[in-house]
Amino acid sequence: AQRQILEQRVSVRLSSETIESALKKLERTANIRFMYNPVIFPAKTELSLTARNEPLGTLLTRLLMPYEIDYEVSDQHIILKRSRSKPIPKERKTGSADRTIRGRVSDESGGQLPGVSIVVKGTQRGTVTGSDGGYELIVPDTATVLIFSFVGFLMQEIRIDNRSSLDVTMITDQKSLEELVVVGYGSQRKKDITAAVSVINVKDIGGVPPSNFTRLLQGQAAGVVATQRSGTPGEPFTVRVRGVSSLGAGSDPLYVIDGFPVGTSIGQNVNPHDIESISVLKDAAATAIYGARGSNGVILITTKTGKEGKAALSLSVDYGVQNLPDSRKVKVLTGPEFAQFKYEVFSDRFLFDKGRLPEPNEIPEGIRHPEQVTHTTNWYDAILNSNAPYTDVNLNMTAGAGPLKSMLSVGYYKEAGALIATNYDRLSVRSNLQGTVNKFITMGINLNGSYVKTNYASTNGRDAIAGSSLLLDPREPMYDDKGVLRPYIIGKDGVFAYPNPVFALQNIDRNTGIAELLGNGFIELSLAKGLKFRSSVNTRLKYDRNSQFVPSTIGVSLASGSAGAPPRIANASESNTQLANVSTDQLLTYFKEFEGGHQVDLMAGVSAQKEKVKALFGNGSDFPDDLVPYLGVAAIRSAGSLEYDWSILAYLARANYSYKDKYLLSATFRREGSSRFGSNTKFGNFPAISAGWRISDEPFMPKTNWLTDLKLRGSWGVTGNNDIGNYTHLAFMRPENYIINNTIAPGKVVESFANADLKWETSNKLDIGLDLALFDNQLVLTAEWYKQITRDMLFSIPVPSASGFTSVWTNLGRVENKGVELAANYRVKIGGVNLRTNANITFNRSKILELRGEDTTPIWSGSFYGGQHVQKIGRPIGMLYGYRKLGIFNTKAEIEASPLQDGAIPGSMKFWDADGNGEVTYDTQDMVEIGNPNPDFTWAWTVAADYKRFDLNFMFTGAQNYEMYRAIEASTMNMDGVFNVLDKAKDRWRSPENPGSNPGHKNSQGGTNFWKWGRESSDRYIYDASHAWLKNVTLGYTLASRNTIFRDARIFFSVTNLFLITKYPGNNPEANQRNERTEMGFDDESYPVPRTMAGGIRINF
Amino acid sequence: CDDMLSTTDPTKIDKNLFFKNAKQFEQAVNGVYGQLQGITNVAYLWGEMASDNTAFDFNPADRGGAAGWEAIEYGTVNPGNGEISGLYNSHYAALYNVNNTLERLAESELEAAVREPFEGQLKFFRAYYYFNLVRYFGDVILLTNTLKSYNDAYDLQRVPQSEIFAQIEKDLTEAVALLPAAYTGQAGRVTKGAALTLLGKVYLTEKKYDDAANTLREVTKLGYSLVPDYADNFNPARKNGPESILEVQYQGDNDLGEQSNFSYVFAPRASGGVVTGWTTVVPSGRNTPTNDMMAAYETGDKRKDISLKSGYTRDGTFFPVPYVNKYNYPHTIAGRTNSNWPVFRYADVLLMLAESINEQAGPTAEALGFMNQVRERAGLKPLSGLSKEAFRTAVMQERRVELAFENHRWFDLKRVMTPVEFAAFMNAHGARERANPTVTRGSIGFSDLDYVFSPFEYLLPIPAQQILINPALSQNEEYK
Repeated sequence: AQRQILEQRVSVRLSSETIESALKKLERTANIRFMYNPVIFPAKTELSLTARNEPLGTLLTRLLMPYEIDYEVSDQHIILKRSRSKPIPKERKTGSADRTIRGRVSDESGGQLPGVSIVVKGTQRGTVTGSDGGYELIVPDTATVLIFSFVGFLMQEIRIDNRSSLDVTMITDQKSLEELVVVGYGSQRKKDITAAVSVINVKDIGGVPPSNFTRLLQGQAAGVVATQRSGTPGEPFTVRVRGVSSLGAGSDPLYVIDGFPVGTSIGQNVNPHDIESISVLKDAAATAIYGARGSNGVILITTKTGKEGKAALSLSVDYGVQNLPDSRKVKVLTGPEFAQFKYEVFSDRFLFDKGRLPEPNEIPEGIRHPEQVTHTTNWYDAILNSNAPYTDVNLNMTAGAGPLKSMLSVGYYKEAGALIATNYDRLSVRSNLQGTVNKFITMGINLNGSYVKTNYASTNGRDAIAGSSLLLDPREPMYDDKGVLRPYIIGKDGVFAYPNPVFALQNIDRNTGIAELLGNGFIELSLAKGLKFRSSVNTRLKYDRNSQFVPSTIGVSLASGSAGAPPRIANASESNTQLANVSTDQLLTYFKEFEGGHQVDLMAGVSAQKEKVKALFGNGSDFPDDLVPYLGVAAIRSAGSLEYDWSILAYLARANYSYKDKYLLSATFRREGSSRFGSNTKFGNFPAISAGWRISDEPFMPKTNWLTDLKLRGSWGVTGNNDIGNYTHLAFMRPENYIINNTIAPGKVVESFANADLKWETSNKLDIGLDLALFDNQLVLTAEWYKQITRDMLFSIPVPSASGFTSVWTNLGRVENKGVELAANYRVKIGGVNLRTNANITFNRSKILELRGEDTTPIWSGSFYGGQHVQKIGRPIGMLYGYRKLGIFNTKAEIEASPLQDGAIPGSMKFWDADGNGEVTYDTQDMVEIGNPNPDFTWAWTVAADYKRFDLNFMFTGAQNYEMYRAIEASTMNMDGVFNVLDKAKDRWRSPENPGSNPGHKNSQGGTNFWKWGRESSDRYIYDASHAWLKNVTLGYTLASRNTIFRDARIFFSVTNLFLITKYPGNNPEANQRNERTEMGFDDESYPVPRTMAGGIRINF
Repeated sequence: CDDMLSTTDPTKIDKNLFFKNAKQFEQAVNGVYGQLQGITNVAYLWGEMASDNTAFDFNPADRGGAAGWEAIEYGTVNPGNGEISGLYNSHYAALYNVNNTLERLAESELEAAVREPFEGQLKFFRAYYYFNLVRYFGDVILLTNTLKSYNDAYDLQRVPQSEIFAQIEKDLTEAVALLPAAYTGQAGRVTKGAALTLLGKVYLTEKKYDDAANTLREVTKLGYSLVPDYADNFNPARKNGPESILEVQYQGDNDLGEQSNFSYVFAPRASGGVVTGWTTVVPSGRNTPTNDMMAAYETGDKRKDISLKSGYTRDGTFFPVPYVNKYNYPHTIAGRTNSNWPVFRYADVLLMLAESINEQAGPTAEALGFMNQVRERAGLKPLSGLSKEAFRTAVMQERRVELAFENHRWFDLKRVMTPVEFAAFMNAHGARERANPTVTRGSIGFSDLDYVFSPFEYLLPIPAQQILINPALSQNEEYK
């Protein structure tokens, strides 16, 4: 490669240009990058040169020779340094006055850094590191400080003291304006970007256990909120870019891996270790190029590529354990406490009915003597896996000698879940190859094969494992007299029966296997100067397998509506799904720089994509035994298959123009057709324009040494959303069979309303941003204001059922999202400590502007007994509705003096007659807004510090001022005595004389005598979920070694989810079991989110 | 390129590509029958449970989940009741397919001999479903065509009952003319006899006794007869017998998904497999015969033991939880029974005929003869010498026991009573249940409003959701 780079022929004209501008021109012309320390050039050097079709090597020699500067190709760069033949003159040895300092310079990941300039402060004396990053410098005894500098890294001044050896880690100048940022269908210098784009460098994230790549998005970029709904191993986080913009269609961003738009989820298979960087495209200027899939933001993932230079091998091994800390376990009553509770429930009820306390013989025998109960089973503890281990091993090899650059990686990840008998395993292999065939042709191929398998359980909701283990009778033992695990806990004294959750976890088999092959291939032709054609093909093949077997030994819970002790009819199901997705892009790009500082960068292309999914599934029940769970032996079997596909065809174009880097203009356009819409409305147009103004370069700006860069930018554009089902605009016939003459008679009925006019949902987006860099990029600030209005939302709305259907997909309504994002990056060196800190905060406000034309009727969802979400004009998305609680009725007189609340008795919650009609009606009419699940703001704060060989990294994330509906309390605070209850139930209302410590509190609990007015949606279940979470702490130590076996190594220790500061009583203030768009903040108990402690080592060979 | 973007679901047929030939129309008509199963599966909630015939096996440990059914039993339903919403929606969903198929049929070029029986069956169903709706809800939205756009649905208003009855009579009169008296190898389809029976029932409900008697007399000419053994009407081995005018067809013992499960729905909750024969499917304990119902049978009535049991014996202990036994037959796969549901039986026709003649001409010998045919089959002595009023009472009593648990009772009560009388009748029944509940209630007492009926509860409320999304829709009085 070295020779090829130098042999490429270049034409250029330089006339009295500064070093900087001359080299920049060469960089663009020859598609190379220089690395140099400007001090190697004499001050005020001006370069002049004309070359026509001259090999780069001879041109460089000609250009640089006069300045005694050598060049060397290394790692994609051309390093300029003072000529070896003419080193900086070593001052004559003056005896003991000089001494030698040796050392090695590396980057943050431990890679060797050749070409780093080292100068003794206050002198001309200096050197440059060699190809292994090593250096040797003779310094005068009087020297105190060395200055290390290298383009792309922060300059460091380091005291020598008495050392004779000094190793230095250079810190990337992340905000370097020259940095290339991956954007849609290409890349751009950060400096030139006029859109809202956040970049995440994966190596800055620290030791977060990367079970799923979406975890890497947490807290890293303003406007990007990644929340963890549950602790299920391998489960992707919910990712929202600038809020929820649609009530009906999906709100997940589009994920693009190495240029391949994979879809709104990349699942569980991608190995986070293979990712180099992530760009998040937020405004229309950045996302409109993805047209119909751009509305929810676009997340561009770039995988690692081979580095120029010799082969390198790195190995990382992490090991950790997960636990649920006591502070985040939900506290329920112990056996003796529950026995006492049962006793009190009976006597309270008796007192209410009969006006006196019961005689002992009137109390059912099972609960008559609570004092005799001593046993406690903590069912919740029993399902937790203590010290659940995870292991993450990765081997990564890069090579870049010769025309081919390659990166090969193998990763194995194995995680045992925080609940017993659940786990997640991932094996992945990646090969990224890129090569230059000749000066016209470059090509590359990335291949990623992976396999994931999981054992999972039904964990969400009160009837599932996590919920039921809170509700089970704590008086019941786990094992029977013979020490055998009891399969089923038959309720005594009116307590609901449940399968033993431990037995269920161990005996119900639910597992998946997902094999995936991702491939990207491209060929790029340099057709003429500045003109390139790139053709790429991407494929994703995915094979999903799911098997479940529920053996006959599992009973049916009573809470699920019908109870049954085992045996049940064993049942099994299996499914196989195959997905094939192919996309292809043909792109033509042209770059030209004109005299006088004008630059034009053009792109035009065609993109097509098609996905097809086929699945086969079978169910079987009634097995002869539980030993052979295969469908073939089931007495009753059924099978089915399905198939669907979608396709997209798009034409796209982009033009970027800049004048002297000061005035920047960009326009993109995409015309896209989708199979998901009717023939009249198949195509949509998605334009965007943006502009930037580098104010700091204006002559009127005072030249200061602290203002590095100031750029104002703005954008407007239109994006779309087609994330709905595949054939929603059509109406199909659905089977509805019958029996005629004792024989099956096939029948069909119409399934839905057709809506031939179903069309794109579009968002108009406006964005204004300010980028400010101060003190030579020490402090970088970005502020962003945006407003987007989504119209013609794709939405399934309720239709009067007299039409024959209860819902229809249509385009309706408007939703507005506006917000402010602030991000700050600061780095400073205090003494020997390099400190970097990064903070971001996002304020997003959604507002529904219109629902169904003139009809302002709000849209309700949820249930009377479990929280109502309402979409209402003028209000944010997904507001929680219910009765407003005014307190607890103490006496009959109080009830009579209040608006009619039929069925209320002393101890009932007192609700507000919101419509003032004199009656609290037993329907939704008196329900009002009781909570907002949208935070006022979300924030993240990262601190990283290095001291000598130590590094320390903290990350906090948080969200402020939002509410959750803690639905599980309708069961865990059910005073009927049919469930175990929360510890705080002891402080319930019992009688007018004994109303609990704070009956007026919103979350106070009423009495035990009723079932009406207890579990209806009300603010009794609403809690503030504001929180701050110390998501990760990592402490690392780097061992540098001159050992020939390995170059260096780093060991680290990290804790994830170390502590949570919140008043929210549940395990996870981000939990949700309803849909993540319009029904947020509904917590009915789910797989708990554990704390992870891990240690690891990375060795670079 | 447009080709690439034109995709359709390969697993289904587009509605616009269907309705092209006789075979497809037959499937569309069968689909309407298919929807009848879903409607019939829950019809007992009102037909029986809302009446004095049955209560349900109260579960003191699970109140929340049973709230919707409790409300029906105790007369505390409100517009938010999910069962009522399901009832309302399922009827209109079926009506859409009736109307749509009729429209497509009108555009088709099928020859009359093929088209007419289809048209007759569809019109019967339209009448049947509107007859249900008008009896449940009073005034309802009337649609005899499909809507061109879903937007049109937001302005639909209820029309007076008289208009709905006019449409029902029109559809049935046409259906009678279009339908054959019998099909060959098509047992289970709607016949002329079914249409006449329904029309007779409609006239009776409207108190048009002349028309009712004349129409029902037509049915007697079609060759139906009472089967000697009352139980044969419900025996899956003797489906669609000579007494059967219309049965909802089910088939168990296989994988086709067309089974019924009434015996599981009706068996006591804690009976395990004692009643149904299978322990692996948990019974639901609904539609429990009341004390009142069990007492309604005269001594010696053969029907009592066939129709119900007063309890079950499990592990040697007798549990006095009564249950409906009519549909309880052995089957080979747990949870999948083979029982059909009787909609119209000839016994019903005879009793309606007796009732109409009595109302029209008094207790004539003809009227008495029709009623006594039914009594004699049950092993009871024939009645004679009744006054018109006594005959009226006798025929209602006979209907109650003969047609027990076949979803007639609630409608019969409402048919012969004014709302005020109906409320008084149900309150008297409620008082008996409160004093002496059919099923023990653990430690949980009745709520103050349980079994308290008001005249407005003669009709069900229009589901709240429907009014929320269509403000043009009015609610029944006092449900607001």
